[in-house]
Amino acid sequence: MTNDEFTVFLVDDDEGVLKAIGRLLQARGYRIQPFTSPTAFLASHDVSIPGCALLDLSMPDLDGLALQQALSACGSERQVIFLTAKGDIPTSVRAMRAGAIDFLTKPVNDTDLLRAVQEAERKDGEIRSKAASLNSIITKLALLTPREQEVMKHVVAGRLNKQIAGELGTVEKTIKVHRGRVMNKLGVRSVADLVRLAERAGIAGVGS
Amino acid sequence: MGLRAEAHQLFDWTIFNPRFLLLKVAHQTGSWFVNSGDQQSQASPCCDTHVRKLLLAACALLLFMTAHCRANDAPQRVLILHAYNYTFPATTAVSEVARRQLIERSSRPIEIEAEFLDLARFPSEAHAARVAQFLHDKYEGRHFDLILSMGFGAIPFLIKYRDQFAPNVPVVFAGGTKDHFAGYKLPNDVTGVFSSFDPDKILELAERLQPNARHLMVIGGSSPNDRSWQRSAREAIERRAPRLEIITRYDFSYDALLAEVSHLPSDTIVLLLTVYSDADGRSLIPQLVATDIAKAASAPVYGPFETFLGSGVVGGYTETYASLGASAADVALEILSGTDPSKIAPHVNPRQAFRVDARAMDRWGLKRTDLPPGTIVQFHEPGLWEQHGLLVVAVASVVLIQSVLLIALLFQRRQLRRTQRSLEESEDRLNFAATSMNIGFWQFDRSTGALWVSEPGRAMFNAAKKGLWTRDSFLAAVQPDDRLLAASALEGNLKVHSRAADVRVVASGGEIRWVSIRSRSNLDEVSASDSVSGAFVDITDQKASETEAELHRQEVAHLMRVSVLGELSGAIAHEVNQPLTAILSNAQAALYLLEQDTPNLAEVQDALRDIVKEDNRAGSVVRRLRGLLKKGEPRAELIDINEMIGSAAALLRSELISRQVRVETELSASRPTVFGDSVQLQQVLLNLIVNAMDAMAATPEKQRRIWICTRETKTGTTEVIVSDSGHGIQPRDSKQLFSPFYTTKDHGLGLGLTICSTIIRKHGGTINLQNGEAGGAIARVSLPSRLMLTAAQ
Repeated sequence: MTNDEFTVFLVDDDEGVLKAIGRLLQARGYRIQPFTSPTAFLASHDVSIPGCALLDLSMPDLDGLALQQALSACGSERQVIFLTAKGDIPTSVRAMRAGAIDFLTKPVNDTDLLRAVQEAERKDGEIRSKAASLNSIITKLALLTPREQEVMKHVVAGRLNKQIAGELGTVEKTIKVHRGRVMNKLGVRSVADLVRLAERAGIAGVGS
Repeated sequence: MGLRAEAHQLFDWTIFNPRFLLLKVAHQTGSWFVNSGDQQSQASPCCDTHVRKLLLAACALLLFMTAHCRANDAPQRVLILHAYNYTFPATTAVSEVARRQLIERSSRPIEIEAEFLDLARFPSEAHAARVAQFLHDKYEGRHFDLILSMGFGAIPFLIKYRDQFAPNVPVVFAGGTKDHFAGYKLPNDVTGVFSSFDPDKILELAERLQPNARHLMVIGGSSPNDRSWQRSAREAIERRAPRLEIITRYDFSYDALLAEVSHLPSDTIVLLLTVYSDADGRSLIPQLVATDIAKAASAPVYGPFETFLGSGVVGGYTETYASLGASAADVALEILSGTDPSKIAPHVNPRQAFRVDARAMDRWGLKRTDLPPGTIVQFHEPGLWEQHGLLVVAVASVVLIQSVLLIALLFQRRQLRRTQRSLEESEDRLNFAATSMNIGFWQFDRSTGALWVSEPGRAMFNAAKKGLWTRDSFLAAVQPDDRLLAASALEGNLKVHSRAADVRVVASGGEIRWVSIRSRSNLDEVSASDSVSGAFVDITDQKASETEAELHRQEVAHLMRVSVLGELSGAIAHEVNQPLTAILSNAQAALYLLEQDTPNLAEVQDALRDIVKEDNRAGSVVRRLRGLLKKGEPRAELIDINEMIGSAAALLRSELISRQVRVETELSASRPTVFGDSVQLQQVLLNLIVNAMDAMAATPEKQRRIWICTRETKTGTTEVIVSDSGHGIQPRDSKQLFSPFYTTKDHGLGLGLTICSTIIRKHGGTINLQNGEAGGAIARVSLPSRLMLTAAQ
């Protein structure tokens, strides 16, 4: 089992409930990590592991909402599903606004639970793939020399080679070579692709 | 024979045979002191010769013995001349004292002769001359050393005839006032004692005794002697003229006078002077005259003489004749011992005094308080007190004691009556009260089994019939279950002295009535008394209201429980929901597992096991709830206090979590147990925990903390302490915490702590609330460990 596997983090102070929900999810093939104490969960939380948090709303020390806030505060985009015995509307609205996947009431039906977990899994996958492509762009950008990065910014801004050469105090031919290398290093074939990549990486063109 | 005895004999003679007096005196004195031959023959005329010889021998011996001292022992002779005769008491009184004193005080023997001249009654000169001749003849050849003259009447006689029978013999006179002597020139060898006559003093006495007197009657006789007294009195009488009307009766016929004095006004003073004869020439004795006049007079009579006293006269300023005689004897003795009579001047008898007759004063109603100081009261009948003082005291004491006893007895009787009356009243009141309050009295004789019951008591037992009751007929009326208790109450065998037993009695309509049997047996005196007494009190109404009140109380307690649980319903639902959630998930997991081609049966088994476990958990929550919600009779059971706290905490778990309150427990390892009703005690605990939670609403979440502790104390009690970190108890609330309807919460009823307090009290315990040192409140419940409690009653 690797840490890349989707994991459901269960937090409920009631051991009986914790065990039963865990068993249900395991039977469905989910990897689970149960915690009876929210603080213990926070302490050992690893954001890199894909998965979601299934939180009991009413717990000693730290209730579900507070735990959700604590998770976002530390920069995690962990998907959260709430489980509660007495869900009232104001609480559920707060939970949903804070980005919860769902607000389930106990006793929870397996279909509802699984749907929510699947939704969480989907969202988590989305977020994770986005993050992965960005990472590859950033890696590729890191391969460019400073001169190449400079040239790329001018290209993205829509300048012609001649203009860029004039700006940088060189000849058009040199610019052409740099441009070819950038396109090569970043794996793009057209200027349009380059511009898209630069956008995703959050790089703005010079002078635009 | 002593001289004193001889004097007595003489006195006897004067009484019984006065005519022999002179002879006898002469004979006695002579035979005793002189023993001369001729006297002797005279003294023993009838002795036989034998005796005579003996006497002669004795006389010879005596003669010899006395011969050598004859010069000193020669008797001195005294002649007593009485102016009057012996029937005049004054004469006797004066001379008797004088005679006795002469004999007693003289250093030498005294030989006394006496003559009664009787000159006052026989004033004729011829009589005087005859008497003088008689004396001359009688005492011829006899020498006298002294003549003692008694009474003034003898003075003129002596002056005239002394030389005829006793020439140059010194004379001592007794009696006669200075006025009497005024007209006589006394020879040098005549001296003596004047009697005093002070009419002024007599009248002073009379005026003091009769301050309202208007008249003064002066009575005097017609003889020369009388006249001289009248002259003496004149000045004093005339001095009274302005105040008193003066009547003098100096010349009167005795019978007419007696008639006159019997009609005197009562404001008259009668002054009686001497009356030796009246106007008719009748010879009188002044003392007898005084007796007659005093008896006849209708007003008090006063007089100048001692002899008048005792005859009915009130009194006067007088000497006693005895004192006159004594004074004269003093002078005589002086002369006999050799003093020259001319050296002794005649003087007034110094022994004068106011003298009164107490009987006469009483007769006229005269007051003793009016008497001048120093007055001698004579004939004072010694009162009973003086005569029998001791006896009187004794009798009086006895009478007093008896009276006191009598009074005490009367008082006691009165007290007794009052007590009786108040007892009757009290009994009446008691009966009334007993009847009104439905109280019957009873008395039971343990030895005979007889039972007496008062009327209201019989009515209570539905037994109108009269006659004796017995233990069995009484018990028959009592419900079978209570008979044992009733019997022990009747026999005074209840465990606690003088306590009551409440029993049920079946009344006529089959209705059950409660009767409290209160018995009072004297357990200390079992041997002395076999009777037990007491009262029956119909307490049906009381029991009914007690039951009703208890029902109300239970109702309220139950409502409070429901209300608490209502508040906690969400949390409690959560407690049921948790196991349901677990059960559902486990079941669905198991189902899914079984659908697989190769089902993991071990896991399925695990899931099923968990389902059972969770179901039990849900069941216990429901049971707890049902226990708290049901309305049932209180039960008495052994309760594990730690367990109960765990149960309460479990019930409140989710509420505690939702309020972010942390509960910490510190439970005694000895697992303290108490006896009582678990629901009620659980209610107390829930109440305290909910109160603690409420108190911490404003406390920061991190600091919300309830601390529950149990422990057993050495005194056999179990303590449950619930403390919080809330706002604590405000001083103004502390006194009313347990009062009904007092609350500090926004929507509290104010009954929670009231009910807690009632429950704990019923369990024989205590509950108190106070502030903790570190803030917050501390509730401390103290219950007796493992004791049979009254909760079941």
